[in-house]
Amino acid sequence: MTAHMRQFGTLLGLILIIVFFTVNLPDTFLTARNLINVSQQISMLAVVAFTMTIVMVMNDFDLSVGSMASLSGIVAAVLFSMGYPIWVGVGGALLAGLVGGLFNGFLVAVIGILPFVATLGTLTIFSGTAFLISDGRTIFGRDIPAGFSGFARSGIPLDTIGLEGLKLPYLTITGVIVLLLVWIILEQMNFGRRLYAIGGNIEATRLSGIKVKRLRMGAFALTGIGAAIAGLMYASRVASANPTQGAGLMLDAIAAVFLGMTMGKEGEPRVLATLVGVLILGILDNGLTQMKVDSYIREILIGAIVIAAVATSALGRRR
Amino acid sequence: MPSTLSFNGLRKSYGGAPALSDVSLTLAPGRVHALVGENGAGKSTLIKLIAGVVPADTMTVTKDGAPITLNSAGDALAAGFRFIHQELNIVPQLSVAENILLGQPGATRYGLFVDWKALSQKANSALAELGIDDIDVRVHAGGLGVGDQMLVKIASALVRDEGAEAPGLYVFDEPTAALSDTESEKLFDVIERLKKDGAAILYVSHRLGEIMQICDDVTVLRNGAHVITTPIADTSRDEIVHQMTGRELMDGYPPRIQSIGANPVCAAKNISSAKLDQINFTLRDGEILGVAGLSDCGQTEILRLFLGLERALAGSLTFNTSAAPRNPVQAWQRGVAYVPRERRSEGLMMTLGVRQNTLLPHYRGLFANRRAEIEKTRGLETDVKLKAVGPDQVVHELSGGNQQKVVFAKAIAKNPRLLLLDEPTRGVDVGAKFEIYSLIRHLSEGGCSVIMSSSDLPELIGMCDRILILHAGRQYDIIEPQGMQPGDLLATFYDHHKTSELP
Ligand SMILES: Nc1ncnc2c1ncn2[C@@H]1O[C@H](COP(=O)(O)OP(=O)(O)OP(=O)(O)O)[C@@H](O)[C@H]1O
Ligand SMILES: [Mg+2]
Repeated sequence: MTAHMRQFGTLLGLILIIVFFTVNLPDTFLTARNLINVSQQISMLAVVAFTMTIVMVMNDFDLSVGSMASLSGIVAAVLFSMGYPIWVGVGGALLAGLVGGLFNGFLVAVIGILPFVATLGTLTIFSGTAFLISDGRTIFGRDIPAGFSGFARSGIPLDTIGLEGLKLPYLTITGVIVLLLVWIILEQMNFGRRLYAIGGNIEATRLSGIKVKRLRMGAFALTGIGAAIAGLMYASRVASANPTQGAGLMLDAIAAVFLGMTMGKEGEPRVLATLVGVLILGILDNGLTQMKVDSYIREILIGAIVIAAVATSALGRRR
Repeated sequence: MPSTLSFNGLRKSYGGAPALSDVSLTLAPGRVHALVGENGAGKSTLIKLIAGVVPADTMTVTKDGAPITLNSAGDALAAGFRFIHQELNIVPQLSVAENILLGQPGATRYGLFVDWKALSQKANSALAELGIDDIDVRVHAGGLGVGDQMLVKIASALVRDEGAEAPGLYVFDEPTAALSDTESEKLFDVIERLKKDGAAILYVSHRLGEIMQICDDVTVLRNGAHVITTPIADTSRDEIVHQMTGRELMDGYPPRIQSIGANPVCAAKNISSAKLDQINFTLRDGEILGVAGLSDCGQTEILRLFLGLERALAGSLTFNTSAAPRNPVQAWQRGVAYVPRERRSEGLMMTLGVRQNTLLPHYRGLFANRRAEIEKTRGLETDVKLKAVGPDQVVHELSGGNQQKVVFAKAIAKNPRLLLLDEPTRGVDVGAKFEIYSLIRHLSEGGCSVIMSSSDLPELIGMCDRILILHAGRQYDIIEPQGMQPGDLLATFYDHHKTSELP
C-alpha cells in the first residue's frame, strides 16, 4: 500500500503540476502548440537524462555530460567552418562523445577512480578543450550549414491529424528514439541487465564471471554519446555553438534521474521513470515561465521540489 | 533483578502475506529458550519485532506482568534487551574496538576526544569474556574472517557499562552459522554464564545438536504459526524436526552409488600463494574433495585458486588438462561454478529478484528471454526448496536460509564441471540441507567434481570422498573420512597444530 503510494507519488506530482498549470493558464498551457513546444524544449535534457540513467543504474554517475555536450557542438561547428560536410561534423561530434565517454569509463572502471572525482576532472578537461579549439568564441552564421540548423526547425507536418500548421519537431522525435533505444538496452538486453547487477553488488557480479570493467566502460561510452547527441541538437537549435552552452544540462539530468528513482520499487533508476522526471522539470519550467515567475525563483522552486520528492521517498522507504 | 518477559499476540504480514500469525512466547530468567523452524518460518521476523526494528502489526509485551512498549531499537535497548542479528552488520572501515563499543557512551577525554587506550581496554575485556585473546582490537574489522567478525558482534552485545543494570534478555539469531566448533563452544560457555547471572536467552539455530545441548525450552514455528513450546527434556531431535516440517523427513547424507570417474579434472602441484603453502592434490571427475582446518587457514583460498581469484606464486594448477582459469570470466565459461563464503557481500544482489540473481552468470546472447528464464528459475526454486512468492521476488525480502539457497541455485543452474562450495549450507534448515546434499551428490555422480569447505564437520564427513586437512595454509594430510566421527576430524586439525609448533 504505502510502497505503491510512494512509487506513484511522483507520477501523481506530475499530474498535479499539469492540472495546476491547466487551471492557471487556461488558454495557453494545455494546447497542442504549447505541448509540442515543451517536447522540443526538453528534448536535449531528455537525451542526456536517458543516457545518464545508463551509468546511474550501476550506482555511477557522470558529471561531464554538460561540458561534453558543449564540446561536441564545438567539434561539429569547427569541422563545418573548415568546410567539411554535415555528416563529417556530426560524425566527429559523436566520435568525441564516444572517446570522452570511454575515457571516463577507463578512469572509473580500470584505474578505479570514484566517478565523482573522475568525471569532475574530465568535466574541466572537456570544457577546456572546447574553449581551446573554438578560441573561446561562439561559432555561428555562415559557418553553420543551413541543412544542419534546419534539422531543429523542421519536423513532420501534423495537418493530416487535424493540427493545421503544426509540426512534430525532429528534435522531439530524436528524444523519443533515444528513449526507445535506452529502454531496449536497459530492459530488454542482457547488457542492461548486467548493468543492474553491477549496481546491485559489483563484487558478486564480478565473482559471477561478468566482465565488469568492460561493461562499465561501455556504459560510460553510451552516456558520452548521449551527451554528444544533445550537444548537436542544441547547436542545431540555436544554429551556433559556444563552449558553455551545454553547461546547464548536467545538474538537471541528474535531478531528473533522481526524481525517477523515487518511482523504482527498490529505488533503482528506470529510463521510463527518468522520463517522468524530465517531464516534471520541463513542464515546471515552461509553466512558470509563462506565469512570468522570476527565473531565480524558478530555480529555487525546482531545487526544492527535487529535494522534497527524494526526501518523501526516503522517508517512505524506512517503514 | 531477573524478570519474566511475555510477548503476546505477535503478528506481522508483508504485503498481505503473513510472516507471523499470533505467536506468543514467554521467556523466563535463567533459561535458554530455543526458537526453531524451517527457513522462512518467521524466526528472524519475530526477533526483529521484539528488537523494535520492524513495526509489528500487533504485539503486547509485559515484563513481570507490567506492560512495556517496544517501538524502536532504543526502546528495546532501554528495556535491557541485547541482540545478535542473523546478518553480520559490522562496520568494516572501523576498528574492531570501535565496532565492539559502537552505540556505547564510549571512552572519551573531556567528553570530546576519543580515548583510544580506554577504548582498546574495554574492547579487549569484552573479547576476553568470550575467551578470545587472538583478535587485535586495533585492526579494521572488515579484514577479519567471517567467524571472527561474528565473535566481534557477539562481544559488542556483551559490553556494558560498569554499574549499569545487567541486561535481562539476550537474543541470538543463528550465531553459530559462521563459527567453527571450537568457537561455538566458547560461545556456549558465555551463554551458560549469562544464564547463571539470571538473564533470559532466546536462541535460534538450525543445528539441532547444539539446541539439544544448551537449551532448556524450545518453541517451534511453522509457516509463521506457533506449533509447540516444551522443555527440551521432554522432546527429542526427531520430534522437533517433525514438528518443524509437519512431515517425515529425509535426513542425513545421501550415499554415493556410482564410483568416482577415472579422469583427473583438476590438479594442484606444489601450489604456493600469499596464504597457501605446498598444496598438492588431483581431483577426478565426480569426486568430492573437502578442505578443512581451523577457521580461516586457507580453505577459501584453495577454492578461489580455481576461479582465478587467488594467484599461485609457485607450482602448477590445471583444470581439464590445461591451465586453470585466470579470472572468473574464464572460470564460469569453462564450467566452474562458485558458492562464495559470504552470501550478502559476495553472492547476492540484494535489491534484484531471484531470477536475476540465479541466472546472472548464465545470460547468453543479446536479448533476454523472459519466458525461458522464468521457467528455469521456477525449476531451480523447486530443486533447492526455495520459499519465495515468485521468481521475481526481491532477494532482501527472503529469509536468510532462502537467500543462501539462491546462491546455491546460481551455481548449479547450468551443469557445472567443477563446483566450488564455501559453506554451501550456512543457515539452511535440516530438510533443505538434505535436498542440497542430494543435488550435490546427483551432480557428482553425473561427473561434476566438487571442492567444498565447511565448518559443519558431519557435513564434510558425510559428503566428501577425501578431505584435505590444512593448517595455516599448509597441507597436512589428505584423509578418507568414511566412518569417521566429527571428533576424529577435529582432532586432525589440532594434531597438526601441535606438530607444527614443535621446533
Ligand atoms: N521485508 C520483507 N518483505 C517481504 N517479505 C518478507 C520480508 N522479510 C521477511 N519476509 C518473509 O517473511 C517470512 C519469514 O522470514 P524470516 O526471515 O522471519 O524467516 P526465518 O525463520 O528467520 O528463516 P531463516 O531460517 O531462513 O533465517 C519469509 O517468508 C520471508 O520471505
Ligand atoms: Mg532468519
